[in-house]
Amino acid sequence: MLLIDILKRCGVFFVIVWLAATLNFFLPKLSGQDPVRTKLLQQAQMGGYVQQGIDEMVKVYEVRFGLDRPLWQQYLSYISDVVRGDFNFSIANYPRTVADMIAESIPWTIGLLGITTLLSFVIGTILGALLAWPRAPRWMAWLMPPLWALHAIPFFLLGLILMYLLAFQVPLLPIFGGYSIGVTPSLTFTFVLDIIRHATLPALSIILVAVGGWALSMRGMMVTTMGEDYVLFAEGKGLRSLTIFSRYCLRNAILPQITALALALGQILSGAVLVEVIFGYPGIGTLLFQAIRENDHFLIQGIVFTVIVSLGLATLILDLLYPLLDPRITYKRT
Amino acid sequence: MSDNPTRAAPGRRDLMKASLLAGTAAALPWQSVDAQPAAPPRNRTMILVWAGREGRWVDFELWNPYSLGSNHQNGPNLIYEPLAYYSAFADKLHMWLAESYEFTPDFRKLTIKTRKGITWSDGKPFSAEDVAFTLNSLRDLGPKVRWGIDVNQAVEKATATDANTVVVDFKMPSPRFFMFMSYKYDIGVYIVPKHIFEGQDWTTFKHFDIAKGMPVTTGPWRVTAASPQQKVFDRADKWWAAEQGLAPLPQVLRNIWLPNAGEQQTAQLLITNQIDAGTGMQPATFPTVFRQNPKIITHSGQKPPYGYRDWWPIALYVNNERPPFDDKDVRWAISYYINRQQIIDVSYLGASEVSPLPMPDYAPLQPYKDHIKDLLQKYDTLAFDRRKGDALLTAKGFAKGSDGVWARGGQKLSLDIIGVGSTGPAIGPVLVEMLRRAGVDASISLPPDFDDRFQKGQYTGAIYGHGGSVSEPYNTLKLYQSASVAVPGGHQVNFARWKNAAYDKIVDQMFVVPPTDQAKLKDLFHQAMEIWLPELPDIQIVQLHHRIPMNTTYWTNWPTAENPYVNGAHWHLTFPMVLWNLKPA
Repeated sequence: MLLIDILKRCGVFFVIVWLAATLNFFLPKLSGQDPVRTKLLQQAQMGGYVQQGIDEMVKVYEVRFGLDRPLWQQYLSYISDVVRGDFNFSIANYPRTVADMIAESIPWTIGLLGITTLLSFVIGTILGALLAWPRAPRWMAWLMPPLWALHAIPFFLLGLILMYLLAFQVPLLPIFGGYSIGVTPSLTFTFVLDIIRHATLPALSIILVAVGGWALSMRGMMVTTMGEDYVLFAEGKGLRSLTIFSRYCLRNAILPQITALALALGQILSGAVLVEVIFGYPGIGTLLFQAIRENDHFLIQGIVFTVIVSLGLATLILDLLYPLLDPRITYKRT
Repeated sequence: MSDNPTRAAPGRRDLMKASLLAGTAAALPWQSVDAQPAAPPRNRTMILVWAGREGRWVDFELWNPYSLGSNHQNGPNLIYEPLAYYSAFADKLHMWLAESYEFTPDFRKLTIKTRKGITWSDGKPFSAEDVAFTLNSLRDLGPKVRWGIDVNQAVEKATATDANTVVVDFKMPSPRFFMFMSYKYDIGVYIVPKHIFEGQDWTTFKHFDIAKGMPVTTGPWRVTAASPQQKVFDRADKWWAAEQGLAPLPQVLRNIWLPNAGEQQTAQLLITNQIDAGTGMQPATFPTVFRQNPKIITHSGQKPPYGYRDWWPIALYVNNERPPFDDKDVRWAISYYINRQQIIDVSYLGASEVSPLPMPDYAPLQPYKDHIKDLLQKYDTLAFDRRKGDALLTAKGFAKGSDGVWARGGQKLSLDIIGVGSTGPAIGPVLVEMLRRAGVDASISLPPDFDDRFQKGQYTGAIYGHGGSVSEPYNTLKLYQSASVAVPGGHQVNFARWKNAAYDKIVDQMFVVPPTDQAKLKDLFHQAMEIWLPELPDIQIVQLHHRIPMNTTYWTNWPTAENPYVNGAHWHLTFPMVLWNLKPA
């Protein structure tokens, strides 16, 4: 790969991030709502008492957050802050910083969605490949209808159904949260088991839906690949069925799946928000949901920017690594 | 030498191995590790579900209740003890950090005697200096913090004349100031430790460092763990109030606060005895919960209304600045079109009560209500009488069109109502249908910026409550003042945007009457309501109830209608009173 190609792709990455960051700055402003006033009035409404001087408080905090300045000045400050990795304070949770809040949520989301994405990819891809493979067991054909049906159900709806079945009707798994009531986080085996137990229901609701998607796309690619000349050649050579399946078909059909996986991994920060909300899972999805509800501009900007960067990075890394995955692809000029 | 196999670039297998390792490492939710406090038995642990947001505590680090992101409802109400608690249900003021107080006859000076023998949890003595420091700081901070403007308006200075005496000099007569500072519902001044808060920026100081014993408190509760998942309070073995015989040492050894993840989850946790109290639930949920766990009760036992009256009666606000609702006859016509009992039956399945006035039916307020019986007979705010409503609108030039909707000069009588919280969706659709049947072109929406629009007057109709009086009528009447002379620079709530100079003057007169002078207050209340009732700035609908489920499996002596020592809301400032009253089952 030429250095110039790498630099070009990095340049495109930065332009995309800048454009997205700019949109990210202006979009929350379009609502026309005042985040400080919203926060104070929401508190007042929760307490049932509207304290004196809300307007004065709004002014004080608007100055503190720089919201009293012209929009272009706010924009320049925002870009300058973002470049330095400073997302400012959360307006609704002042003086907590956006960076702190994102940092405490990200591990949960990566833990849940990272693992579920990888698991559904692996299971779905293998299932999809087997569904297309003529020598696969016959009973596998029965898997298609349920996979299609599950794939059509939104994550959160399946989550509610699973919660009803496995937490309400047969109370096997916990209803909500990242870990048990009264337990303090610690690096112990028991605590890790507790986390896994709490993650099972949300994970199942994601995996059961996503597996169908991976399986369906893999099945289609396997069917195409199996019609290729080199597969016929391999069969003609009398190679073992397993070798043809794994080395000739699966390996070639999987490439588009890997592209999709990279993009899916980039999206895990923004994915399954409602699943996190339903299961009270302390990830980035619930944080974004709260930020939008509270009109917390800085927190929205911080989370969305993180999502944009993760997506951009995933694409960039994939772009740079693709020649390693597929020798047919090269950046060498011809 | 790029073809040298021993120095080749990483291959596909290496890449995949590396990815797998990196993915596994990143997937583990590494978090800060706290020491695990030893868990008391379940029957000495009280677990409740309340608030949070989408099943998490975002504010778990914020224990300074004066910071913008903090809310005393989420735990700080256990940490900062007050000068006094007031229970509206028992109509009793419990002197607490303060032993006594006394105003000068002109109410321009207040002397507070604080109790001796109180220490903060870090061993430093609590003294009058803490009270004076709190008040002077609030005065100086003004609009930067909660209660700052209220204190700034009233307080000239606060001086600790000795270790147990604080003298507060006021800028104007302030007969309600001690009551304002006392804890009731969500109002009260949090007294902070001077040795901790001095020199700190109150807007950014978190007052949180478990290893250093923060938050520091005079109360019996120590924060031993706080995370987005839960807030854990452990009881100390010694507490000054128990030693001085003011309250028993709580039998609850550990109090765990979980964030609310939804009504279904709360109901299930109650049914399976995993929690002892929950966030308020809808009336329809209670029969199911009672059936599956007979140990669950509410303030009214297992009978409707499944709770107690909150201090926040609900009304239909109409913007008095927007025609035709600037006309009192139109407001009265709307009131006549509302069948409140039907709202109760449909919206609350019969589990609610009507509200004739914008104040709750609390015992201390009853003498005042009795005093205006003559006015309420003449101006029946609960009357449902479409003919009277029709007559009022006809007299004002309205006529029904072929579509059955009232109109005047080609303009339909439209009322776009906005709602919020649980009351908007509960009442709104029923109310709108009722008004439509009466010929009003009504609609309901639940905008996310309700609060902003409502406060700025950018609405025509709104469903909202009244956070006013609990013991005497001044605070409710103040909600409708459009201007005040008695409180220079005073800030008005006046959501209805109603203006009446004569009314404002009477409420100003009430401001300087001490709450104990019931005769004078009754007289002024009557005068004010002689103006308010014919004008009807907003239209009263129902009482609000706090429907809090309480579990008697592990804990008894919850506050109930038979034992109403205080209201049971765990988010209110009076919740510590519940905790020291609970008894293991």
